[in-house]
Amino acid sequence: MPFFGEVFSSEIIKKPVLDPKGEDLGRVKDFVIVKGDPLPRVSALIIERKKKFFFLPWSDLNIFNKKIISANVYSENLRTYEFSEDDLVLVRDVLDKQIVDANGAKVVRVNDIKLEGYNNDAILIAVDVGMRGILRRLGIERGSEEFLGFFNASLPFNLISWNYIKPLKTKLHAITLTVPRQMLSELHPADLADIISQVSREEGTHLFGDLDIETAAEALSELKPDMQADILSAMDTEKAADIIEEMPPDEAADVLSDLPREKAKEILEHVEKEEAEDIQELLGHEEDTAGGLMTNDYISYPPGMTVKEATERFRTDAREVETVYYIYVLDKEEKLRGVISLRELLFAEPDCPLADIMETNLKTASPGEDEMEVAAIISKYNLLALPVVDQDGYMHGIIAVDDIVDILLPPSAKKARRKV
Amino acid sequence: MSRWKRLLVLLAVVGPGIITANVDNDAGGIATYSIAGAHFGYSMLWSLIPITIALIVVQEMSARMGAVTGKGLAELIRENYGVKITFWLMLFLFLTNLGNTAAEFAGWAASNELFGVNKYISVPIGAVIVWLLVVKGTYRVVEKVFLVICLVYFVYIPAAYLAKPDWASVALQTFKPSFQFSNVYIVTLIGVVGTTIAPWMQFYLQSSVVEKGIGREDYWASRIDVIVGCFLTDIVAFFIIVACGATLFKAGIKIDSAKDAAIALAPMAGKYASVLFAIGLANASIFSASILPLATAYYICEGMGWEAGVNKNFKDAPQFMWLYTILIAIGSLIVMFPNAPLIPIMWISQVINGVMLPFVLIFMLLLINKEELMGEYTNSKTFDRIAWSTTIIMIVLTLMFVVTMFV
Repeated sequence: MPFFGEVFSSEIIKKPVLDPKGEDLGRVKDFVIVKGDPLPRVSALIIERKKKFFFLPWSDLNIFNKKIISANVYSENLRTYEFSEDDLVLVRDVLDKQIVDANGAKVVRVNDIKLEGYNNDAILIAVDVGMRGILRRLGIERGSEEFLGFFNASLPFNLISWNYIKPLKTKLHAITLTVPRQMLSELHPADLADIISQVSREEGTHLFGDLDIETAAEALSELKPDMQADILSAMDTEKAADIIEEMPPDEAADVLSDLPREKAKEILEHVEKEEAEDIQELLGHEEDTAGGLMTNDYISYPPGMTVKEATERFRTDAREVETVYYIYVLDKEEKLRGVISLRELLFAEPDCPLADIMETNLKTASPGEDEMEVAAIISKYNLLALPVVDQDGYMHGIIAVDDIVDILLPPSAKKARRKV
Repeated sequence: MSRWKRLLVLLAVVGPGIITANVDNDAGGIATYSIAGAHFGYSMLWSLIPITIALIVVQEMSARMGAVTGKGLAELIRENYGVKITFWLMLFLFLTNLGNTAAEFAGWAASNELFGVNKYISVPIGAVIVWLLVVKGTYRVVEKVFLVICLVYFVYIPAAYLAKPDWASVALQTFKPSFQFSNVYIVTLIGVVGTTIAPWMQFYLQSSVVEKGIGREDYWASRIDVIVGCFLTDIVAFFIIVACGATLFKAGIKIDSAKDAAIALAPMAGKYASVLFAIGLANASIFSASILPLATAYYICEGMGWEAGVNKNFKDAPQFMWLYTILIAIGSLIVMFPNAPLIPIMWISQVINGVMLPFVLIFMLLLINKEELMGEYTNSKTFDRIAWSTTIIMIVLTLMFVVTMFV
């Protein structure tokens, strides 16, 4: 059993490895990692001597701790090693790289890696993402601790268990299968979008590809437009279409309008017909007008329907619709007759027809109206949504207050990550 | 791509290159160019051509790395060379930029004094404005403000015009290299070169290219941005040297700072030239004072793996906010301190600047030629030769610069 206890990678790297006679075999350069149960384990050390690399299997090790590393083979038996993309090696691939800390919902950098003895193996137990890791690598962890001790302060440990970690690079996948994939999906979509925009594009696209459709759809609408376009373009059309289908039509239209026309068309062809028609309709409007902002995803009932019927229908309809706070009363010709708030509906007599309780003094916007005017109306009358009606009284869609907030607070104030 | 579309992409991408190059003409830069013009007339103008080429070569590589890898320079150095090197690099960059920030505030104070504003009023106000910019600003707005500020640099063109230079002689000296074998000439020449390519610029440029989301496909536009920016920088430098050369040099007036230049210009080129010089200095100082601390805090966090970003607060990104705040606070306090040892501070920061530059340039060259990072975007053979020669010349000159500071 070569390894007990725990050790940090920084305490091992550059340490000499000795043969049974105590002669120097070389210095530790890197660790080869393989998938293991429950956590990935070290399968071999890569040692460096005179600019050449050698492969030292874990089973050939005698003693492995932060003071002494010794092997039971001699230098003439060592096999040379070439770094290859197929192997996962700790220093090259994990140390100093960015990882997603799924628990804290942010991107951090690996300062050090903690190994622990388990069934004769050295397994990767945690990564150090804190100040301690940096100080340890600089060789001043002890010193800093004592220094801080004078002020009665202490250095916090900032370790993240390997369980909670999902590396961002493709080639690490083999070892991360033990990590529950849902971990990422459990994050709030806005946090996810934040993470995606904090890593490089390639990694962001990759990370995104791993999400389930529903989460992907939500996270996508939180991203900056150019990022959205990048990610969708890199994705295969089928999956992109699935994600678009999952998004509310107005957001889907926004995303598609930022794509190259060909790509947008291709994706739309794969979207379910009804959904695609809604999106098509919205795509026809200028982006900064009421028409460009609106969604055609709303609840509408005929004036003759009773409150009781409406409430029952509402229960099923509301599941599919994003904005449910108003019920729009449309006549047979699809002209807007009145609006009922959800609150009014709940308090009304069950037998009463909708025509009797609806508000007929309507605040509306026309499809060509400027977005700032729409914002002004919504703000003035404290509305949660504003119907978009053309001059002939036909209802086109609604603009929800959350879409307006995005305009009033410029997206950069909400999402931009770095401002140099 | 249609012509229209290309134009749109270009307009969207423009920014980082022009801004970075202009920040380069900071308080220290303007002082150096003024001194060069006042003491040696037009005889140093020729050096601006090779300097522009060197600047373009270096800046282009930064922008290319940013666009291709999607990562900042500090990030790349950390990922490829480990935390130790990164830490020391960041520590020294912090120190030199602390000195530089103080120099910017000193320039701001000096230019305000020209307008009769006491430094105990101008410096705190400047520091607060700069600090608020990050706490309250958003990148889009900030970048637009910056681009407008870049236009203010053109005040040096009418200033030079007011100085009524002999244009024929200016043209001749620009294209005909000349040299004087005097100590002062060499020191000043090295100063002009040294002030043009600073280590922090490469970090800043690369990060802002990444921040702007410029990818491989838009890189051509970014390259134009960089080249235009480098030309603008040296055009401004050109007119400063011309303005001082046409007046102060002829009259044999010796100056020590940009403020001296502005004062000395008044009797010779008129009040307006003097005022334009003062405005230029104020603009350059406050502009660099707002970018330097921000850039420094940003790439240190990037390299060390700490949260960073303007939209973060002290709780989310403590290291970032503190670094930024400390740089501004100390930078401005040093200037307000009575009898502050400003000259030694700037001197030390220039020395560290010079010592850091070779390391940064070599890291850049090593990184940009890594195929696993850059793919087909590594340096071409010819470009690589130009880049290495530029780097070696820069290293030699900067080392000479550093040596002269001790002599």
